[in-house]
Amino acid sequence: MTLLSRLRLNSLAGRLIAAAAVWTLFALVAGGLILSNAFRSSAEGDFDSELRTDLDALVAAAGHDRSGEIQLEPRYLSSKFQRAYSGDYWQIVPVGKGETLISHSLLDRTIAFEGLTAAKESVIAGYGDGPDNQRLRILARRIEFPIDVTAKPDDSRAYMFFVAADTSQLVQRIAEFNGTLVWSFVILGLGLVAAVFLQVRIGLQPLRKVTLSLHRIRDGSARRLEGRLPLEIEPLASELNSLIEHSAEVVGRARSYVSNLAHFLKTPLSVLASEAAAQPGPLADAVSRQVGVMRRQVDHYLARARAAGALDVLGNRTPVAGVIEDLARTLKRIHRDRALEIEVACPPALAFRGERQDLEEMAGNLIDNACKWAQGRVRVTATGTGASFALAVEDDGPGLTPQERQQVGERGERLDESVPGTGLGLAIVRDVAKLYGGSLELGGSALGGLCARLTLPAIA
Amino acid sequence: MRILLVEDDKDLQRLLKKALTDSGYVVDSATDGEEGHFLGDTEPYDAVILDLGLPKLDGVRVLEKWRKAGRNMPVLILTARDRWSDKVAGFDAGADDYLAKPFVTEELLARVRALLRRAAGLATSEIEIGPIRIDTRASRVTVAGNPVKLTSLEYRLLSYLAHHKGKVVSRTELVEHLYDQDFDRDSNTIEVFVGRLRKKLDTDLIQTVRGLGYVLDDKQAD
Repeated sequence: MTLLSRLRLNSLAGRLIAAAAVWTLFALVAGGLILSNAFRSSAEGDFDSELRTDLDALVAAAGHDRSGEIQLEPRYLSSKFQRAYSGDYWQIVPVGKGETLISHSLLDRTIAFEGLTAAKESVIAGYGDGPDNQRLRILARRIEFPIDVTAKPDDSRAYMFFVAADTSQLVQRIAEFNGTLVWSFVILGLGLVAAVFLQVRIGLQPLRKVTLSLHRIRDGSARRLEGRLPLEIEPLASELNSLIEHSAEVVGRARSYVSNLAHFLKTPLSVLASEAAAQPGPLADAVSRQVGVMRRQVDHYLARARAAGALDVLGNRTPVAGVIEDLARTLKRIHRDRALEIEVACPPALAFRGERQDLEEMAGNLIDNACKWAQGRVRVTATGTGASFALAVEDDGPGLTPQERQQVGERGERLDESVPGTGLGLAIVRDVAKLYGGSLELGGSALGGLCARLTLPAIA
Repeated sequence: MRILLVEDDKDLQRLLKKALTDSGYVVDSATDGEEGHFLGDTEPYDAVILDLGLPKLDGVRVLEKWRKAGRNMPVLILTARDRWSDKVAGFDAGADDYLAKPFVTEELLARVRALLRRAAGLATSEIEIGPIRIDTRASRVTVAGNPVKLTSLEYRLLSYLAHHKGKVVSRTELVEHLYDQDFDRDSNTIEVFVGRLRKKLDTDLIQTVRGLGYVLDDKQAD
């Protein structure tokens, strides 16, 4: 398929315009032919009736004597027959022997009459060639003059009266008309197609609005299709909105179930842990261990359930600067005993393509980790590069060797028991980042300690 | 020191109350947000342990209302909600510390001690006033290096005065913060205990301010 036909078939606008164009073409051609024919008949009819008048005049001008000879009275004849090769001619041909009389305009030629055509009131019509390559329209009539000199009362002499006129002007008139018809119909046709094009564009405008709306939903700047839409699209739009709401509800509900489960498990786990600690013994040891296992499982699945939901919901958008500032403020208070300096640098317009709480979890864990290990300085820098952005969290603490970085990141192990907090923190950050198609890299920082670099999708 | 514990889970409440009382604190407890808010609003506490997921009134709201009314006692939030957004909300509402469940009781006790220290403007868990040294973690007192044996109430009295070093503390205040609600709240017994404490410490750093109360300070007043 050519590009053109592929485009046409796939587009509503294309189809509508193509159909209109074809129909317009067909209608205009048919109309044009009809008009052309009508004009031609009319023009030829006018031509013939003028010629008919000339014929009648010729007949009237032909008097006769008693022996049936024609006596012409020139004053009945128009001057147009005088001029040589004027295009108007007459000719009287006796049936039988006798002299052919011709008009002055014929000079010395005669008209050859091509074939007989249908007789109408005994007028015979046809075409012939005239002088100067003129194409002539010819009308003829047989007239009989009675002869008085002979004894038989029925004796008469018959003559064929011919009049002819050059059709070139007629032909030109018709051609001119056709010319005008053609170009005016072409313009009309183009105009109609243009009008259809405009109508289609205006008519399909709501669909374009819907497309824009969908883009906004994708980007997270809207949560539903907004605005009034025409009757035909309204059902589609309201179904889509219901679907979005429903989907968000389902995800929200699933999340809250998981959240609630975790919440309601944590308190009993606390109680068990404390009771076990209070009454040492083999049972208490077993309980403590199992509580530890349960706690890790709860954290593990809770973190993943929170993040996994993010991918199904359309258009999440989280401004990054606000989240980082909230976390920095809170972490300063949490670690206030240590007089830490937390520097934050984030472009104000930067937005994360995902859920707020997921960004909070990831950034919170990273900054908290940095605070725990830092000697005095923590630096958080966000840089956007089009479709993604990078969050770098650095500290001036002891940092990690490449092997240690590997261990901490991959298996979620804690390396140093002296600083409290589950090693799951970094592993969770890495997993959630992966769910968003991003990544977590651990490296060295210019400040002297660890640099944790989180890459996530952004909204451009 | 008087602590308010607001926790709706009965088992956990019982456990924590016991642990706190064993550490020498006087503990009042509430099982829902409204009761907790009312107590914190009307009674004097040195610290509050506040759960967030409370019936009747949410913990964050309780805290917001306290702060708005000017109740500035240190508050430690204890909750299963440990998402960062919850922590941000908790601190923004006015919390001083945040401990997520499940936790180890020891950690809770350490955090409470830290809260009280911070509120008193003390930097470490050891308090020094003149020759008196108090190890708040182990609840041990030494004077000029020599350990001194104190009863529970005597220790609590000394600790309270030490946490309010340089400030005059009235007898009523001492009664409110050191005695459980059930005990006989007779301010005369406070005098007896102060006397006993002075004797054991063998120091005159605990001053009596006539008509106002007592003050523990290492600055010698001229």
